[in-house]
Amino acid sequence: MKASYTTVSANHLNLASTLAQALTEKGFGPFFSTPCGILAPLYSALESNIGVHTIPREDNAIGIAAGTAMANQRPVVLMQNSGLGQSVNTIASLVVPYEIPILLIVSLRGIAPDRTSENAAMGRLTEPLLSSFSIQSVQLETTQLAAQVNWAQQIVYEQRQSAAFLVPPSMFGWQT
Amino acid sequence: MNKTVAIQQIILATTDQPIIFTTGYSCRIAAHLCHRPNHFYMTGSMGLATSIGTGVALATGLPTVVVDGDGSLMMNPTSLIVVGAIPNLPLLHVVLDDGVYASTGSQEVSSKQVNLTRLAHVSGYSQVFHVGNVDAFAVQLHGALANCFSPIFIHCTLSAENTAVPPRIDLNLAQHQRQFSQYLRTVTGFNGQKSQL
Repeated sequence: MKASYTTVSANHLNLASTLAQALTEKGFGPFFSTPCGILAPLYSALESNIGVHTIPREDNAIGIAAGTAMANQRPVVLMQNSGLGQSVNTIASLVVPYEIPILLIVSLRGIAPDRTSENAAMGRLTEPLLSSFSIQSVQLETTQLAAQVNWAQQIVYEQRQSAAFLVPPSMFGWQT
Repeated sequence: MNKTVAIQQIILATTDQPIIFTTGYSCRIAAHLCHRPNHFYMTGSMGLATSIGTGVALATGLPTVVVDGDGSLMMNPTSLIVVGAIPNLPLLHVVLDDGVYASTGSQEVSSKQVNLTRLAHVSGYSQVFHVGNVDAFAVQLHGALANCFSPIFIHCTLSAENTAVPPRIDLNLAQHQRQFSQYLRTVTGFNGQKSQL
């Protein structure tokens, strides 16, 4: 099922620009992404701001991000939560034991209003999975973006741990 | 040339270039032969050594070496396509091909029908080489490291391992990562400012 972007409003686009700007102003980057419809407005905003490397598999994106993190950059990986499933071993055997600081931005397919059955299980599993890895996550809220970016900066830069933003389908205007 | 001899050649041919060793015997042999600060031992995440090397090369602009295996490459051939899409990536990707999954009981790798150098070439690597003996390998390694401005692929056919393989890596992995990161900070001068991103 493909999202229709005719319904993405100026507000949604502004929100995506605000988040992209907040992230780059805080020094996050480079950005790696396997595309996702929910994150498409953020992807566009980042592309026109700093650029995004499109990587065909999410586990590869995390691997590349890990290399840039060890080279003292502040990488961000954008993915759909189906890709988080794809990346379980990469997180378990690379990111967690080597303590590599990466910011993950993970969309929440399988959460209302997305009722696609193929995404339901990962929708339920996303937060508990991250929590089991001891990766702190927070669901993005439109009115809290600046504070949430500060929170991520604190965890990823200061504590040198990975963290995750969870993005609900409605955040940037996604519709089934 | 077995895997130990091949890794010895890689260590001899390199000085300060970052090197990512894939999981399994490659890590163990390298750590045992000579542990240097430019080594990163990837003990898990099979298939991702090339992805990590891609990130290091992108961020530092330094010629970066990946020591991969045939089984690892078959697990993640996507990594070739990602590298091939970045024409100015200074990455030397060495595949040590013994035809088997050596560390899990020498089960055969199902890639005999695949010409790995052609696969790298059509994925976008600028230069690809195949070597089957130690002298040819040494020559190609030196040549590639002297001119590593774009992705280079060396496929190296190995004979079976006839020496005892050293034990598992006994490092604190988080500490190892931080030391490698500190090493990259030192060689780049700061924090990835030579980035091509």
